[in-house]
Amino acid sequence: MQVQDSTVQVMGIDAGGTMTDTFFVRADGHFVVGKAQSNPGDESLAIFNSSEDALAHWNRTVDDVYPELATCVYSGTAMLNRILMRKGLDVGLICNRGFEQIHSMGRALQSYLGYALEDRIHLNTHRYDEPLVPVSRTRGVTERTDVQGKVVIPLREDEVRQAVRELVEAGSQAIVICLLQSHKNEISEQRARDLAKDELQTLKVDIPVFASVDYYPSRKESHRMNTTILEAYGAEPSRQTLKKVSDRFKKHGAKFDLRVMATHGGTISWKAKELARTIVSGPIGGVIGSKLLGEYLGDENIACSDIGGTSFDVALITKGNFAIKSDPDMARLVLSLPLVAMDSVGAGAGSFVRLDPYSKSIKLGPDSAGYRVGTCWPDSGLDTVSVSDCHVVLGYLNPENFLGGAIKLDVQRARDHIKAQIADPLGLSVEDAAAGVIELLDLTLSEYLRANISAKGYNPAEFTCFSYGGAGPVHTYGYTEGVGFKDVVVPAWAAGFSAFGCACADFEYRYDKSVDLGVAQHASAAEKAAACAGLQDAWAELAVKVVEEFVINGYKAEDVMLIPGYKMQYMGQLNDLEIVSPVTSAATADDWNKIIETFEATYSRVYANSARSPELGFSITGAILRGMVMTQKPVLPEDPDAGPTPPQEAYLGTRPFYRHKKWVEASLWKMESLKAGNYIMGPAIIESDATTFVVPDGFETTIDKHRLFHLKEVK
Amino acid sequence: MNMMSHKEIGVGNLLKSGLTLKQNRDAIIARTKETGYYDGLEKLELRDSDPIGYEKLFSKLRGGLVHARETAKKIAASPIVEQEGELCFTLYNAAGDCILTSTGIIIHVGTMGAAIKYMIENNWEANPTINPGDMFTTNDCAIGNVHPCDIATIVPIFWEGKLIGWVGGVTHVIDTGAVTPGSMSTGQTQRFGDGYMITCRKTGVNDEPLRDWLHESQRSVRTPKYWILDEKTRIAGCHMIRELVEEVIRADGLSAYEKFSQEVIEEGRRGLMSRVKAMTLPGKYRKVSFVDVPFKHDDVQVSNAFAKLDSIMHSPCEMTIKPDGKWRLDFEGASRWGWHTFNAHHVAFTSGIWVMMCQTLVPTQRINDGAYYATEFHLPKGTWCNPDDRRTGHAYAWHFLVSGWAALWRGLGQSYFSRGYLEEVNAGNANTSNWLQGGGINQEGEIHAVNSFEASACGTGACAIKDGLNHAAAIWNPEGDMGDIEIWEMAEPLLYLGRNVKTNSGGYGKYRGGCGFETLRMVWNAQDWTMFFMGNGYMNSDWGMMGGYPSATGYRFEAHKTGLEQRITVGDSLPLGGDIDPSNPDYERHIDATAVVKRDKQCVTTEDCYDNHDLYLNYLRGGPGFGDPIDREPEAIESDLNQKFLLPEYAQKVYGAVFSQDAKGVFKVDAAATQIRRAEMRKERLARAVPTREWMKEERERILNKHAAVQVQHMFATSFALSEKFTKEFKAFWSLPADWQLLEDELDVPTYGSKHRMDLSQMPDVTTVVQVEE
Repeated sequence: MQVQDSTVQVMGIDAGGTMTDTFFVRADGHFVVGKAQSNPGDESLAIFNSSEDALAHWNRTVDDVYPELATCVYSGTAMLNRILMRKGLDVGLICNRGFEQIHSMGRALQSYLGYALEDRIHLNTHRYDEPLVPVSRTRGVTERTDVQGKVVIPLREDEVRQAVRELVEAGSQAIVICLLQSHKNEISEQRARDLAKDELQTLKVDIPVFASVDYYPSRKESHRMNTTILEAYGAEPSRQTLKKVSDRFKKHGAKFDLRVMATHGGTISWKAKELARTIVSGPIGGVIGSKLLGEYLGDENIACSDIGGTSFDVALITKGNFAIKSDPDMARLVLSLPLVAMDSVGAGAGSFVRLDPYSKSIKLGPDSAGYRVGTCWPDSGLDTVSVSDCHVVLGYLNPENFLGGAIKLDVQRARDHIKAQIADPLGLSVEDAAAGVIELLDLTLSEYLRANISAKGYNPAEFTCFSYGGAGPVHTYGYTEGVGFKDVVVPAWAAGFSAFGCACADFEYRYDKSVDLGVAQHASAAEKAAACAGLQDAWAELAVKVVEEFVINGYKAEDVMLIPGYKMQYMGQLNDLEIVSPVTSAATADDWNKIIETFEATYSRVYANSARSPELGFSITGAILRGMVMTQKPVLPEDPDAGPTPPQEAYLGTRPFYRHKKWVEASLWKMESLKAGNYIMGPAIIESDATTFVVPDGFETTIDKHRLFHLKEVK
Repeated sequence: MNMMSHKEIGVGNLLKSGLTLKQNRDAIIARTKETGYYDGLEKLELRDSDPIGYEKLFSKLRGGLVHARETAKKIAASPIVEQEGELCFTLYNAAGDCILTSTGIIIHVGTMGAAIKYMIENNWEANPTINPGDMFTTNDCAIGNVHPCDIATIVPIFWEGKLIGWVGGVTHVIDTGAVTPGSMSTGQTQRFGDGYMITCRKTGVNDEPLRDWLHESQRSVRTPKYWILDEKTRIAGCHMIRELVEEVIRADGLSAYEKFSQEVIEEGRRGLMSRVKAMTLPGKYRKVSFVDVPFKHDDVQVSNAFAKLDSIMHSPCEMTIKPDGKWRLDFEGASRWGWHTFNAHHVAFTSGIWVMMCQTLVPTQRINDGAYYATEFHLPKGTWCNPDDRRTGHAYAWHFLVSGWAALWRGLGQSYFSRGYLEEVNAGNANTSNWLQGGGINQEGEIHAVNSFEASACGTGACAIKDGLNHAAAIWNPEGDMGDIEIWEMAEPLLYLGRNVKTNSGGYGKYRGGCGFETLRMVWNAQDWTMFFMGNGYMNSDWGMMGGYPSATGYRFEAHKTGLEQRITVGDSLPLGGDIDPSNPDYERHIDATAVVKRDKQCVTTEDCYDNHDLYLNYLRGGPGFGDPIDREPEAIESDLNQKFLLPEYAQKVYGAVFSQDAKGVFKVDAAATQIRRAEMRKERLARAVPTREWMKEERERILNKHAAVQVQHMFATSFALSEKFTKEFKAFWSLPADWQLLEDELDVPTYGSKHRMDLSQMPDVTTVVQVEE
């Protein structure tokens, strides 16, 4: 046994609705996972309990480990739940006069956001959620700025003061100001903000004021207004929660500054100005973790695939970067936040399986058995077949060791349901029906994966596919078969991968600004230089904001690495592409040419060469600046090579396993006992408490020194 | 010498079976007719022998279609395509029958199919020939397109030299070079003013658009930049789907693909029948709808005296549901086409109804031409929905399609109700208007046309268990959206001065219809500018169910010489926000007293000039209500009052609500007092009521004396002239004497076109494709 450094360096937290997971990584790459019941009243307590649970594996305690930690990243659903359950602050809203219903109307598309395809077209299922701010706490002020930023109707200042007085009287705990086209010219909105603050002072009322331009100065008022409201409505209460967590850490000797996973894929301080962007964090973790693993393996193109109970999420890392979506939707609201682009299909490992009563076609989801697994669990109360039922019947899952034996599954019960609901109506045997369901799900997933890769203009052969999520490794072979990936990787800690990934994230702030810099195809050098100057000005403005955030956390400006980017389109188009800038600063016609070359290369990859339209001219619609500082990240284990033959203690026997219309005996292996370098040929099933990795006939796998399984099709 | 050989031209055995495309299509039609199953497929061999493999094919192709649409639409510059999603891609078999379609304006399931069938019937394979890499473009309304602004690109799909199918992509363009700007312009009264018209023209070879086409087409419209990016969108999508089909054949084989492409249509046919069987009650359902065509007004400027006529369009609809799940949709009695742009080709009608049906009866991805084969359509020749003259204009066929279909939806609602599916009931639909259109020279100094699509978010009809949704959808697009103001202001030189829920626009009822919304615009930064209105004004074009009221009708508000420039400078009051109570107008108090204001029910106008600081109100309609309004919960009325969805006067008059308002303006409905008031209202109703037979006697007298508005008489006269059956039924119902008649000639209105007409089928060398019983 090598002597290894056993200092605990990194902690990741995934505070979910029911369980709070903690993930600790030592300097030698070894890790433990802790679990505790979540405590909505005091999250810090659940984190403490979960930490104690984890560290007990190493016979250590919170009081001696917390002071050792170099870094800790939090991710959780508290903020999202606060929004979904409408338990935020009573916010008052100031908008343009004549537009007082604008927020409560919302956008019509919010009435079907988050719906499965068939419900999106089924009109009578559509519904609106309650607005975050009611019309009764909304006031309009006379003002209009036009699309080019010219003030058409100047702000009538007395109306702002009047509005503030009324909103305070109506019980507002925060005030949001969002005026039309303020992203283009911020003067009126900033003036309204200053007046509001002044009026609050006069009233001796201490409530925060949020102006949209100070937070999310991007085009599309519904997105900008929702996001700024979110900041006031949910972020401030969340900040209090995080402060409590941070305080408890400090009490136990922690020296690190607590960071929070944010939508743009970096982590930010809990003290950060824009906390709304922590609204979703968990699923992003996997993408960040994949990026780090990719760096270890030397893979810069990665297809990240995460299969959970209800959905299949796909994200692509290309040339070491993940894509960002700038106007995403979450919690059925359109938002203007940079979000790691992930595409999701509403079918997962726990999806219900039904025959369409009209066409007899197999339908997967959109609802799922969730924690109730399927009809194979007699206590589930379910009588609709789920994908898990099919897996149990075919020998993929161990009925005696589901969730480490926590629940026992009844194979015959699942068989009976599949027979009655699926097999008999289709005239198939139970096995063929169950196998058909799985093939269909896997096909749906693999087509989705393939389509996502080709939609970005790539070929799967250039990509390594990472498969994780609790149920991921059961399906990995199925949805990667025949796609032609360069490599398929399943981490041994697939079930805890998101928490791991969060701990891998950079300390990174990202700010965006809308700009309109249009230049004709054959413009003069002076025109190109002028556009560069405009872009450079925007970057400079963003740099001040980014650096300011780091300064709050005690960093110096020179510690910060700045990465500029831009959004570009052909003039007149409505969709832009986000590009990492090929030049670190923009000034000359030559810089401009590089900027458009990079754009055109990306464009023709995404949409085909024939869709290029340089004759229309080019326009930069957004400036982006990311800034990051170095942080401690988890290291991966570096185990010695133990040769291809697995140790005897890893072998658990065999189990009948059905695929391709026949039963075979699959060898069973205990995942934790396998060593680096071990080779296993299918049919085999590798089990651990939290996950099952299926290697059917025609496949083989080896485990490498980082405890990553590589799955290969045997040709 | 100077001629190419057949081989060089590429004329040949496209199907590799020795059959021409027409022979192949004829054979399919014959087998379908003979057996009752599509292409004679009584057994679905592929699906039954390998249900999983069949589903896999379905899933791959459908997924690919949806994905191609999502990717390709990002190329477009037009907010109509990009924001509103007005595009659609469809896959056809070699005979032009639709296999599968993407999401989007799936009305084009059949319209592009009709174009393919037109090419087949008119021997396009010999001339201009059909080769791999070709592209065909069409927007011809005389062969099935809905309106000229829906431009379709059609690409044949070959496998090893054999034609195995077609893919079509359609986008709704922003301008078609019609007499006036905008995609659904008014002012023209015939096809010849409807804009650039393309009949299945070969516009590309070897995957490249031809240069003559590019030059000609771009200068034929006002907005070439939008036009060309729309074309690139369609081409990119078609090519993605063609590649997908190639991939599928490589993986699963040609034979499986070809079997699939026939069986899936038969499956679609059975699918619709089983839905009809499961959801509805057999029987006859009769509904009707109307819409106003107010062309006599001075603000409708046309170049023909014979078009200066106020009339009404008529769409009686008889839906017969048979016990086996087949159904027949019969529009006998519909009024004649007219000298306007509201006419519709029969394919626009029959294909279009699926965009509505998939929101309610068949909300599924499995919609294709099978649904057409499970439905019998009767659309009499000569009606507005099956014109018999090749001069008809179609630019805004939707004016009445939306209401013509809505009657059908109401009929379905009634059958769902009878069957107990209350949650599926929909009391009717909004007339999806106003259409704000216009053009001129915009803020960039360019020739421009605008066509606001805020109309895709109208109020929806009430359900039998809940209110309709406010500002949510359109009958032609369940995924409606009004879009962001900051995006529309990029496309239109029109500054928003308000966007609000339209008070009182939802039809009253126990469950009210969804309210529409309204946006007030000030012309801003334009150089030369025109606008016009388009929608229903004098009439309700659809109404509610079971005692529910129709939604409010339209009206127009425009103001010129407003003095707003000065009022802004001096800080005077301004017209901002909603036109809350049009019968007590408020905007006029905030513009100069000398302003020229048009505030009336004339909701169809032609291009009029607007200066900067002029005002235009875009009012998007609400949906109809369900059930008796005096059964509405008092809390719901209170909430409507407080949210300004309802004017107090109507809460009192229609709902019988008794309420008070506190110092802060908050309404409180007194439930007990309301109950008492409603009991009184019931008594008042009884006191007013007369037996139906007596009422009919009075009405009969009026009919005998022809005591009706000339517009009503004109509408019936055109229906009578086209249908003896309808005339007989009408006379029998009202017990009219045998010699009673109503003729256009007696009405003292222009009758040009009433007697002498010439159909496209009478042109030499043209074979039209008829897909309905005429």
